[in-house]
Amino acid sequence: MATTSTPSAPETATDDEVRRQRRRVGFSQKLGRLDVKVSPYLYISPFFILFAVVGLFPLLYTAWVALHQWSLLDGEGPWVGMENFKHVLTQQYFWTGVRNTISIFLLSSVPQVIIALVIAAVLDANLRARTFWRMGVLVPYVVAPVAVALIFRQIFADPTGWMNEVLGWVGVGPVRWGSAVLPSHIAIATMVNYRWTGYNTLIFLAAMQAIPRDLYEAAIIDGASRVRQFFSVTIPMVRPTMIFVIITSTIGGLQIFDEPRMYSQTGDGGADRQWMTVTMYIYELGWKNQNFGRAAAVAWLLFILILIIGLINFAFTRRISSESTKAPKRKKVRA
Amino acid sequence: MRKTTRKSWAVAAGVAGIALLATACSSGDGDSGTSPTSGSTGSTEKVTLKIQTFNEFGYKDLYTEYMKLHPNVTIVDDKADKSDTARANVQTAIATGTVTEDIVAADVDWMPELVDHSDFFADLSSIGGDRWPSWKTGQATDDAGKLIGAGTDSGPEAVCYRKDLFEKAGLPTDREAVAQLLGTWDDYFATGKKFIDSAAGKAGAAWFDSIGALSQGMINQLKAPFEDPSTQKITVLDADSPAKAVYDQLTSADVLAQSAHLGQWSDPWNKAFTNDVKGAWATQLCPPWMTQIISGAAPDQKNWDIAPVMPGGASNWGGSFLLVPKDGKHVQAATDLVNWLTDPAQQAKVFVQYGNFPSAVKATTDATVVAKTDTYFGNAPSGKIFSDRFAQVAFQPFRGPNYFPINDALGKAYTRVDVDKTDDAASSWKKFETDVNNLS
Repeated sequence: MATTSTPSAPETATDDEVRRQRRRVGFSQKLGRLDVKVSPYLYISPFFILFAVVGLFPLLYTAWVALHQWSLLDGEGPWVGMENFKHVLTQQYFWTGVRNTISIFLLSSVPQVIIALVIAAVLDANLRARTFWRMGVLVPYVVAPVAVALIFRQIFADPTGWMNEVLGWVGVGPVRWGSAVLPSHIAIATMVNYRWTGYNTLIFLAAMQAIPRDLYEAAIIDGASRVRQFFSVTIPMVRPTMIFVIITSTIGGLQIFDEPRMYSQTGDGGADRQWMTVTMYIYELGWKNQNFGRAAAVAWLLFILILIIGLINFAFTRRISSESTKAPKRKKVRA
Repeated sequence: MRKTTRKSWAVAAGVAGIALLATACSSGDGDSGTSPTSGSTGSTEKVTLKIQTFNEFGYKDLYTEYMKLHPNVTIVDDKADKSDTARANVQTAIATGTVTEDIVAADVDWMPELVDHSDFFADLSSIGGDRWPSWKTGQATDDAGKLIGAGTDSGPEAVCYRKDLFEKAGLPTDREAVAQLLGTWDDYFATGKKFIDSAAGKAGAAWFDSIGALSQGMINQLKAPFEDPSTQKITVLDADSPAKAVYDQLTSADVLAQSAHLGQWSDPWNKAFTNDVKGAWATQLCPPWMTQIISGAAPDQKNWDIAPVMPGGASNWGGSFLLVPKDGKHVQAATDLVNWLTDPAQQAKVFVQYGNFPSAVKATTDATVVAKTDTYFGNAPSGKIFSDRFAQVAFQPFRGPNYFPINDALGKAYTRVDVDKTDDAASSWKKFETDVNNLS
């Protein structure tokens, strides 16, 4: 419709001029169309170019490495196909690593999201010195992970740490934080929760503040209690944020490395691999055993594992939150 | 005039900056372009040498002294936070063929993998291999006889012991008398049994910290603990493996009963040095660097002493080297600095100031070294003791390319039995077998 002015031109101008004009208009139009179509992609391209260089390329190159015998110091060896994957999948340590990773992930992510939701709801209420409390929850996030690990290592030290001291007061025998499987996972999950709960709280808080206040007013008029408001208004309204937080904490939780590595002096996840995660196994294969091929194979297996668990999470969270939002919608239609 | 000089300065600075950038980028492609005169001995050309060390090499004052002696040399100390980081950096350099440091320090435990890639490093034979005993140079020499590392410190082992606990147990407390008691490993464990049955043992004191720590000492007394010196084949799982015999002795019930069950280097281990009787242990295999760790962990404990003995014969634990990557920009200048730093005179200075025991033969008999005493260890003549221990070290175990991971796996096997108690001796050895089989 923007071209309506051109047909009127021949009446006053010569054929030649018309042609030139047409061509000119056509060209700038084409340019304009190109601009509309292409520029948005150009504007977002820096991210994708960067992603291709530092994300996609390493991903594909790792697959290439995984299909070869590859030594840390000597580099590429002969092609071995799926041999590295086969070998790794028969290793006891790989499965120990998967068990530890999932266990630590569940022990950290689940309480973390729940606690963060509750704290955010409390912070969303009218509090005195609001900013102080809000900044307060973020303080642990600022502490360097290594420092967190050093502090918690003292708390959970095996026979004589603070935690065992406190447990001793209530008559619980010394827990073997440094050598038993589940206690070590709990200790590591505590470190992760300490660091990340505040961060997730702030994200939830931001989402909660975007909820229109009239929803709460309506709920109050309907006689809903605080708890009922939380479950029926707050949680459904922060659903997209919840999906985001759960997906990111899944990815982070399954790649956990710093905390378990710093949990002991040697950094190897325990003599019996009590708390060795998959990422630590990758590190051990690559740097201690100098076998990059197998390390790359494990890296790919971890990638697939994260994809699977991420998809399960996504389906799960979508179902929970959509069920609770469906009901009010139907009501609205009827009314 | 002033204008032009300022302009020419700017131009010079710009050119220098670009040149710096260009050389920084091209350090990987070796001999192309770099002038042959760079870094030759006695030249006054400005040279910046980057040296990567870890832990404490005790070189701070020596750097200053060297820079004063050689005004054209600037030394940049890139200290890694721990030896693992330093090892990873060196591995990355070899794997990618890039040289970022002119000099790198390496621990003896990871020398085998560097010797395996001796092409990456410059030949240091010009320094003269006779500066060190043959077992020390042997750790840094490849099959073709090329010396790639200059020895810095060494770790001739003695035994540190707690006088108060020995007294409580009715054992002699005099250095020489203690040495008499601990001549062989059988003597050592027999005395340990006596100690455990005594009043000290009943009060909760142990004889040693962990069997893993003892294994280090005993493995270092074997000629070929894990691999065959001629074929480099892994022999640790063979029926006649000497390391297995050590394992069986250490995991026997008698020996385990003498352990404090504290993994070496762990936080509880570090803390337990302050224990009085309960949870303490009476003996500790003690290379010179261990004396620093003990005195650092328990500065108020006044009962430690050093006995001039090592059960089963003199041996060495630990020690480091300085290496020069061959494709560095200033190989000759770097070699000169390494030569100077590992010179007996400098090694003696480091020992007197920091306690890192020298590895150069002349330095170990130096008057200032031999005269050193240690007030923390009851004024024990530490210089004299370690100098004597050093003189008696005859060989070092053969360390093939798989030494490091095998030793690590063996340490874990001991920890499972002794500290974590997740396995018994047999099942822990089974796991060790799996670990070793997975290396190839």
